[in-house]
Amino acid sequence: MNTFSQSIWLIPCYALIGAVLTIPWSPGLIRRTGPRPAGYINLLMTLAAFTHSLFALREVWSTPVQFSINWLHAANLDIAFDVLASATTVGALVVILGLNALTQIYAIAYLEMDWGWARFYALLALFEAGMTSLALTNSLFFSYVMLEILTLGTYLLIGFWFNQSLVVTGARDGFLTKRVGDLVLLMGVVALYPLAGTWNFDELTAWAHTNPLDPTAATLLGFALLIGPIGKCAQIPLQLWLDEAMEGPMPATVLRNAVVVSMGAWVLIKMQPILNLSPTVVTAEIFVGAFTAVTCAAIALAQVDIKRVFSYATSSYLGVVFVAVGTGQGDAALMLLFTYAIAMALILMSVGGIILNNISQDITQLGGLWSRRPISGICYVVGALSLVAVPPLGCFWGWLAIADGLSPLLLTIILLVNGLTACSLARVFGQLFTGSVTDWTRRSPEGLWALVLPMMILLGVALHLPQLLTALGLLPSWSAIASPTSLLLLTSTAVGAGVGLWLYGGERVAKPIRLPVPAVQDFFAYDLYTAQLYKVTVIAAVGLAAKVVDWCDRILVDGAVNLVGLVTLASGQGLKYNTTGQVQFYALSILLGTILFGAILAFPLIQALQ
Amino acid sequence: MLTPLLVIPLLGAIAIAILKPQFSRFLGGAFSLASLVWSLYLFSQFDLSLGGLQFSEFHRWIDPVGLNYSLGVDGLSLPLLALNSLLTLIALYTNRSNLERTRLHDSLILLINAGIAGALMAQNLLLFIIFYELELIPFYLLISIWGGEKRGYAATKFLLYTAVSGLLVLAGFLGATFLSQSPSFEFSDLQVQNLDLIPQLILLTTLLIGFGIKIPLVPLHTWMPDTYVEASPATTVLLGGIFAKLGTYGLLRFGLQLFPTAWQTVAPGLAIIGTVSVIYGAVSAIAQRDIKRMVAYSSIGHMGYILVAAAAGTELSVLGAIAQMVAHGLILALLFFLVGIVEKTTGTRDLGVLNGLMNPVRGLPLTSSLLILAGMASAGIPGLVGFAAEFIVFQGSFATFPIPTLLCIISSGLTAVYFVILINRTCFGKLDNDRAYYTRIGFSQQWPALVLTAIILYFGVQPNALLHWIEPTTNSLVVELHQPAIAQIATTNP
Repeated sequence: MNTFSQSIWLIPCYALIGAVLTIPWSPGLIRRTGPRPAGYINLLMTLAAFTHSLFALREVWSTPVQFSINWLHAANLDIAFDVLASATTVGALVVILGLNALTQIYAIAYLEMDWGWARFYALLALFEAGMTSLALTNSLFFSYVMLEILTLGTYLLIGFWFNQSLVVTGARDGFLTKRVGDLVLLMGVVALYPLAGTWNFDELTAWAHTNPLDPTAATLLGFALLIGPIGKCAQIPLQLWLDEAMEGPMPATVLRNAVVVSMGAWVLIKMQPILNLSPTVVTAEIFVGAFTAVTCAAIALAQVDIKRVFSYATSSYLGVVFVAVGTGQGDAALMLLFTYAIAMALILMSVGGIILNNISQDITQLGGLWSRRPISGICYVVGALSLVAVPPLGCFWGWLAIADGLSPLLLTIILLVNGLTACSLARVFGQLFTGSVTDWTRRSPEGLWALVLPMMILLGVALHLPQLLTALGLLPSWSAIASPTSLLLLTSTAVGAGVGLWLYGGERVAKPIRLPVPAVQDFFAYDLYTAQLYKVTVIAAVGLAAKVVDWCDRILVDGAVNLVGLVTLASGQGLKYNTTGQVQFYALSILLGTILFGAILAFPLIQALQ
Repeated sequence: MLTPLLVIPLLGAIAIAILKPQFSRFLGGAFSLASLVWSLYLFSQFDLSLGGLQFSEFHRWIDPVGLNYSLGVDGLSLPLLALNSLLTLIALYTNRSNLERTRLHDSLILLINAGIAGALMAQNLLLFIIFYELELIPFYLLISIWGGEKRGYAATKFLLYTAVSGLLVLAGFLGATFLSQSPSFEFSDLQVQNLDLIPQLILLTTLLIGFGIKIPLVPLHTWMPDTYVEASPATTVLLGGIFAKLGTYGLLRFGLQLFPTAWQTVAPGLAIIGTVSVIYGAVSAIAQRDIKRMVAYSSIGHMGYILVAAAAGTELSVLGAIAQMVAHGLILALLFFLVGIVEKTTGTRDLGVLNGLMNPVRGLPLTSSLLILAGMASAGIPGLVGFAAEFIVFQGSFATFPIPTLLCIISSGLTAVYFVILINRTCFGKLDNDRAYYTRIGFSQQWPALVLTAIILYFGVQPNALLHWIEPTTNSLVVELHQPAIAQIATTNP
């Protein structure tokens, strides 16, 4: 019986059907019910898809299912939607759909008063369809297509509250930055086909094993393929968009930070055999990952906006994933992505509720929330412990698996990232939950049930994750906790969290804390001045080119055309005054004409005489 | 089988002209719908196993000159014929509040339909020229009567440019016929292949400049932004959607098909011109402040892809070129239609003034949503027809011209830049409280946009539904393109 896995292609369709069904609730059509039914329909569709994926997971656990749906046949090009339903991909579906369902419940409370339900849920459905298709497809072409659709979804979701100018610029930057990555990836996709003759990942892997390319081609191709995930996973230098994306509504942020950005890494893992063809590319991949991991962890420590702290934490974690993929630990990377998704979603949900009714998201303005919001507090703590290396919770196992296979230098970097992240999580905890109550936090009850319920469910999942992973046979023996690497990781967590708590827990140390060198602090607080860097480089270049070309177009190209017209008109205008009616003038012009004509005719004669 | 596509719109034009003005839109709609239905019927009768001409009609007309009434269609012209009828219908239902002299307006639109259909079907060079020049007159009148403030300037510029285009094409045709000593101007009689390369190149260049004005290619394009901006929305839909496609159609039909050898010689140059157009159009569009002008420049860029693909001359790229003609026609028509609504409702096209049209209560939520979709389709987001066509163009051209193709991909990123500017300024942002007392746009004014959107989505998800009509023809076109080259190599290397 393979009913559920054979019909696995339905999973993206559930979301799309939900999105289409929201149309009647777009503004002005159905007024009597308000926009809410659109959300409920989508939630039901997501739950249906989630159930489907659970049943399918049972079926494909031991035997993967593969089939392909023909999409385009043209000349010598056949593009098929290759579906691979294996334990990994369907497992990814379960995570994606589960988080989607929880986020949609969360959004019921978060957007309680919003008028744009239909649009919001339709866009979430677009996200869901894009992610599930991306998880299912085994074709590089469709991976690109889905990444592009996620880019569009990001743009529209960030721009959800389009009235505010920061939102509009955030949406613009998100779209354009991701699109840069996508288009470079498209170049790679286009260039790869004539070389390999396929976009199927399995066939590509087999092709890559034959070592078919010369080093230059492999490097160029590898870089093209690498830049797509760099943009998608918000790695330096394309990291800024994720920070600006924080202007969007919180439920979308939860999804984006927990799973959407990870989809870039998912594609990267699948493309790794091709990237391996060029050592330069692999080095670059590890370097970008390591650099982003450390730098973004440091930037996160310097942010005052809660959401931005976690946007940089996201970039930093994906940097670690890049390092893992680059060093050939795809499975460890997947493990980290999985555990990270749950921890990050839990953290974001807990702080989201705080943002919702304390209005401010500036951590320096908040404080003393532990007694007022114990549920949020507990969720945050569990989320934070799951995110860094604390056994036996989630991410510890991912960290351990990655750290085991690294060189000492990279291991140091990983330990540093873990420590910095622990410190920044402790800092946020200290600022939000400890210390004295501020004006912003004086009245801060726990949110609506719809806000608390998904948080509690996720809390349960996070706490049971070790058991779940053991049951699935994904964990090494628990004695690994006592291994040297594990102890190093634990130490880094303890040091980081200890420093963070000591500095920010309670009011022991006066705030704001400034580093001795303000320039360094500002450097990280202003995201390495990336926005300014973009402004004086890419944006200035494009703007200048546009102005110059426009000027040429108006003055030179069109000017030449208008000049011809003007000369014609003016000469006509001027010559018309010759028609005076004076016979002598006509006689003179005839004479002059005859002389001129005669001279021209005689010119060769004269030359011949000489 | 094909004559009805000429007769129906002509009858429609006459009927509109003599009946009462209040019927004119209904009559126009009915007749253009009839011609659309007829072209769809042709699809159902079209034999996909044949690459050549079908439904051919031939009647002797003026024998001494060599002018015959000879029609035929293949996979290159058939989709464009359907697009022509569809866009005529859309143009008639484009926003027209306070339109004066509706009878003249609507009959001119139907005349254009007949003219373009004739040009697409004509298999006699002179007949093609007649139709090609004939539709300039109604366009000239439409621009100069119903245009904007600078309509006189725009209309004259349009007429001068396109008339020169017609003359150059005519010169090319006369030269081709006389030099190859053909018995008539029949397309099938022409044997330009036997000419030396130099005369072939001269003739091809003449045609390239002639059709290049129509497409338009940089630097022959300056008639186009002025004309598009000044013309009424209905006229712009036709101009951008189908009129400009006659240029690329002519290039493929009379350039690539008639001069395969010379085509291969000039192909690298063409690819460069196409790439320059693509980049130039995109970069200029970024600098524009007027949304209609921005869309006009975007069109220059998108037509450039067609030239690159045609130059590459692989089966896939030529298929992509034709698909891009249809895709671009649909998307551009939708964009101009929506920009027309925005302009009519808000009274401005200035990006500095427009804002917040997504506002659900006082803005134009449906128009804005469709505008976002149209912009994204034009920027090549997957799932919409623009992506399918552009991807085939890229994939097809890459093997022949890797660098121009990569530049085209980069500039499709620039496309995203100006569409994001357009959407952010127009649809997003805060609606200005002092200005925003807009009249509500009813369904009757929106349905053409919904129809276009549905088609754009359908072909985007199911590109084969469009491609399989075109493919047999492109296959045979490309076979012709590569055969002489092989023959020549065979003769030069005995």
